[in-house]
Amino acid sequence: MAELSTTSGRYIKGVTLGEGTYGVVFKALDTLTNRTVAVKKIRLGKYKEGVHVTALREIKLLKELHDPNIIELIDVYPHKRNLNLVFEFMESDLEAVIKDRNIVLSSADIKSYMQMTLKGLAQCHKKWVLHRDLKPNNLLIATDGQLKLADFGLARILGSPDRNFTHQVFARWYRAPELLFGSKQYGAGVDIWAAGCIFAELMLRRPFLQGSSDIDQLGKIFAAFGTPRESQWPDMTSLPDYVEYQYCPAPPLRSLFPMASEDALDILLRMLTFDPKSRITAQQALEHRYFLIEPAPTRPVLLPRPPTRPEGKSKPAEVASPAAPIVLSPPNKARRVTLFPGGAGGDVHSSGRVDTGYPFPSRDASGGTVPGETPSDHGEIPMSVDMRTTAGQAIPPRPTLNSTDRSYLKRKLDMDLAVSHYQEEQQI
Amino acid sequence: MAANFWTSSHCKKLLEQEDIAHVSPIDQNRGLTTEDAKIIKVHLSNYIRKLAQHAKVRQRVVATAIAYFRRIYTRKSFSEYDPRLVAPTCLYLASKAEESTVQAKLLHYYMKNFGTAPDEKVFRYEIKDVLEMEMRLLEALDYYLVIYHPYRPLVQLLQDAGLTELIQTTWALVNDSYGTDLILMYPPYVIALACIYIGCILKEKDARTWFEELRVDMNVIKNIAMEILDFYDNYRQIPEERVHAAFIKLPPRS
Repeated sequence: MAELSTTSGRYIKGVTLGEGTYGVVFKALDTLTNRTVAVKKIRLGKYKEGVHVTALREIKLLKELHDPNIIELIDVYPHKRNLNLVFEFMESDLEAVIKDRNIVLSSADIKSYMQMTLKGLAQCHKKWVLHRDLKPNNLLIATDGQLKLADFGLARILGSPDRNFTHQVFARWYRAPELLFGSKQYGAGVDIWAAGCIFAELMLRRPFLQGSSDIDQLGKIFAAFGTPRESQWPDMTSLPDYVEYQYCPAPPLRSLFPMASEDALDILLRMLTFDPKSRITAQQALEHRYFLIEPAPTRPVLLPRPPTRPEGKSKPAEVASPAAPIVLSPPNKARRVTLFPGGAGGDVHSSGRVDTGYPFPSRDASGGTVPGETPSDHGEIPMSVDMRTTAGQAIPPRPTLNSTDRSYLKRKLDMDLAVSHYQEEQQI
Repeated sequence: MAANFWTSSHCKKLLEQEDIAHVSPIDQNRGLTTEDAKIIKVHLSNYIRKLAQHAKVRQRVVATAIAYFRRIYTRKSFSEYDPRLVAPTCLYLASKAEESTVQAKLLHYYMKNFGTAPDEKVFRYEIKDVLEMEMRLLEALDYYLVIYHPYRPLVQLLQDAGLTELIQTTWALVNDSYGTDLILMYPPYVIALACIYIGCILKEKDARTWFEELRVDMNVIKNIAMEILDFYDNYRQIPEERVHAAFIKLPPRS
């Protein structure tokens, strides 16, 4: 361990693992338990608003959530004017697994990762906590192979049903259709949708629905599952940002996932159901036939994992998102890398974009490309069916919540104080 | 909060009367009695309420703030944690924890201009004092921030009992139950039941069969009811000089 220095007496500071939006994460040794831990150091800013709400949320919720599939908050301690959060040290994350081309994921491995994700989610939902930022790089993998949900900085407790939530949550590719239509009163279904996208991503080994804007994201969703009819999702038309999409029939799901078993497709379809009310719950999903029949999920300790994570890239979600696409294929294929201008840009929220005559993506008969948008429109990879064709291509950077989203969120949170519609005090 | 109370830290941390009533040795040395401590807590709970009215936050935030405030003094002394500063800081922390942040500078403005401050010493505190205290409070609370309240069970129970006309009376009773340490001692639904029990007596409703069917320990309900009634008898209106006499024993830290 480099630069030895003591922290709070108990922790011996090690190398820096990464930098998040609200602080630095470094590796440390817990001298009390001899465990390796990750310490997230939260900058408090110059006497403005004290402890950051995001940090407070994470502390508040993780103090209540204890589960083998949820990251453990070991300790919190103040240091100088910083607050340090001590987490168990996690070796890798699911994004690294998905991206590592040397790893072959068997259907038993995928089942194991999905089971752990859903177990963690079921525990959150049981305690009425919505994670709201599920994506592969927030699913961390421990040394013993256990997958754990992390980064609860956007998580909320589902309280009074009439309280409005912001719909600007999740990285776009994992955002449920009700969020994309601007719903502010949503439930656990948003996490399930994201889990469904992750399931698809594990099978395809690339993000499933890579929209470049909110409108495009919906286009991608409808291209894969067909434009929902009123009967499929009765509440859809009353959502705040609802726009009508040209009808497009669903291609057979089998064509998108040629290798998947019938049960895998069935559970996937139930997780990616349009109407959040009929979407499967985490608990129901765990009891689905998919998890009951052969092959049995691989034991976590036997799961394939990337060798070791390169230092500097690590746990907090905000750390990732490189500015340029990473070339995963051999260097001689580097020329195939396409730029991804949409990824790093601001989050274009749907309103105002509708009347620009945005080309509606529809699938042609061959089922491969989306003719409505040529690569020059967005410069991105069209959704394709055959995973072999994508194996050599670069994966565009994952959109994370960018600064626009964050400032939007912050404004939303500040506005909350104006919404005091609770019963005023009554004296007897 | 609709979440699961029984597995929460709040549930596991429920305290007994004797854990709450004691006065720390440092405070005792200053001549602070159990009665003084009680008066200070009632007075500052009201102060939190008044600040909150100006800040226009939800009832829940107030309830959480008072619960933090009371929980802190089961562990810490008034001498080391000046309650004049702890009270507004609890409101600040609760507003964040309950997702309806009150800006520190606004809170400070209300502290300076409104509410019945315990004495003029509260005006000496600056924003940075609030923010520093926030860190100390988090530590004192051992970072456990989730608190459950009787409001939601109250509404559900009243519906179940078919006594929804009692909502106003019982809601106010729940509000006033925060004048006591009950929230640290009993599951919120039991407090809600006690408030319904009092409400029934006040408004002459007969809910005996409903209570019997619940199979709750009526002795516990009655004890809580007695505690709330004791609050009305003795602490609803505390003479100013009595408050002053308690606070004078607590010089604020310079």
